[in-house]
Amino acid sequence: MSNSIHTTGDLAVSVQHLGLTYTTTIDRRPTLKSRLKSMGRGTKQTRVVRALDDVMLDVHYGSVLGVVGSNGAGKSTLMRVISGILPPSQGKVEVFGKVSTLLALGVGFSPSLSGRENVQLGGLAAGMTRREIEDHFDEIAEFAELGDAIDAPMRTYSSGMYARLAFSVAVTVKPDILIVDEALSTGDAKFKEKSLNKIKELRSDSRALILVSHALGTITDICNEVVWLDKGKLIQRGNPDEVVDAYAKFLHVGKSAAINEDV
Amino acid sequence: MASEVYEPFRKGLPPLRKYWRTLWNRRAFIAEYSRSELHEQHFDSVFGQVWLILNPLLLSGVYFVLIVIIGGHSDTTRYGHLTACLFLFYLVANTLQGGVKSVTAGQRLILNTAFPRIMLPISATVVAIFKFIPTLLIFAILRTVLGLPVGWQMLWAVPIILITVIFSLGAAMLISCINVYFRDIANFLPYFTRTLLYLSPILWEASAIKPQLRKIELVNPLFSILDSWSRAVVHAQQPHGSALVIAAAWALGIFLLGTYFFLSREREFAVRV
Ligand SMILES: Nc1ncnc2c1ncn2[C@@H]1O[C@H](COP(=O)(O)OP(=O)(O)O)[C@@H](O)[C@H]1O
Ligand SMILES: [Mg+2]
Repeated sequence: MSNSIHTTGDLAVSVQHLGLTYTTTIDRRPTLKSRLKSMGRGTKQTRVVRALDDVMLDVHYGSVLGVVGSNGAGKSTLMRVISGILPPSQGKVEVFGKVSTLLALGVGFSPSLSGRENVQLGGLAAGMTRREIEDHFDEIAEFAELGDAIDAPMRTYSSGMYARLAFSVAVTVKPDILIVDEALSTGDAKFKEKSLNKIKELRSDSRALILVSHALGTITDICNEVVWLDKGKLIQRGNPDEVVDAYAKFLHVGKSAAINEDV
Repeated sequence: MASEVYEPFRKGLPPLRKYWRTLWNRRAFIAEYSRSELHEQHFDSVFGQVWLILNPLLLSGVYFVLIVIIGGHSDTTRYGHLTACLFLFYLVANTLQGGVKSVTAGQRLILNTAFPRIMLPISATVVAIFKFIPTLLIFAILRTVLGLPVGWQMLWAVPIILITVIFSLGAAMLISCINVYFRDIANFLPYFTRTLLYLSPILWEASAIKPQLRKIELVNPLFSILDSWSRAVVHAQQPHGSALVIAAAWALGIFLLGTYFFLSREREFAVRV
């Protein structure tokens, strides 16, 4: 993607005092009707969710950062800010290099289109050229092992197939900074092993990796550093074994049980 | 080394030059997305094209019969006017229809990819333009069959279509943005377009309007557009200069308003959709 060469140890991402607030409506769907109604009653209709609160973080080239935390901890939100999708509410994020252009879930945005079309459109939206996508497509399709299903509408995909395609896109386009958000451990055992190997392979390059996963075994296995987020706050950061240990204790489960967790 | 800095954004417009550059780099997305949208709605098949033309043609037939029944002025020119104006009206209506949900339907893409969100309503507009082109050809045939006058003044069609597209795009940006905050706007839209249809010089001719109602000309953006359109392509006459100016002013005004509204809000879409 980019020709710049990064050396191990260079700063890839710097997150400073990052805060992010979502504004949502109390209703599931904001409508003019409900707004007019609540105006009459003078009730408040917005709810504020503080998804990230004063998060400090550095990611260096040549390293793998693991991100753990319960559901709703703000992991995906942090990834979205680093990818430039969500502007921060407070603080600052500085990114040196090209971030994986697609967060895995951007693939498959249109369920009625085929896997192939989704990959192409997602890539174009992210700023890749037709040429770049074409050059990578065969590799993506091959890695995902979807066979003919690549030309079937994505609404016919199982969640495993979906995740395979998403993961394949994320790792094939070879960005400087690769983010894998929970796409790693979906899929069957065989694919899981294959994707783990792929991650390990990418790790050897001068690239920065950020892995969000609930599979604590994988995290301790691959990462150089782990951060633990909870309710938008950075709880702990450091050596993978220590952080994962603390996190597993927090979850009130033994470490071994958590490590074997696959989701 | 080049770095990207993300900070809380200031209210108002994003840096326009940079925005334009990222948008231009992604023009292939707009082409590809519109194409797949047309494909999905089957408008790239023969049957889809036939339906596209048949629908307004049937509608103009029905309205024509209606005009005959209520005893209005009815001849071949009138039928030509009705059809030509319906075709152009459908360009606007299809843009609004496709545009209103363009942002909310692109939720997945918006949440997971960084790109100029304006590409979504632009794609909806491109789709509507592609639906409009075959109806232009049909009208060319129809006006020959009806024996309508021919003249160089018909070339005014080109700037009028341009004005219509700019107006529609602006309106599409505006309502797609409003639909993020009020999701029921999409439900109101059919009533709105229906009203616009009746208040525009389509079923009736602009010249036939009572002087007391002349004000519609100023408040209905489509009035001047359709009046000029009918003069150019049906009567092969020069459109009124004042009508052209009003039409262009409306189009530019709505376009600027829509762009401003959309661009100053779009960074918020990801935390709203
Ligand atoms: N688009 C959104 N709108 C409103 N709130 C959201 C949105 N996305 C996430 N949230 C909220 O932000 C918090 C963090 O979510 P997320 O980053 O997805 O957590 P995680 O990925 O760690 O499970 C949660 O409380 C969630 O409800
Ligand atoms: Mg998540």
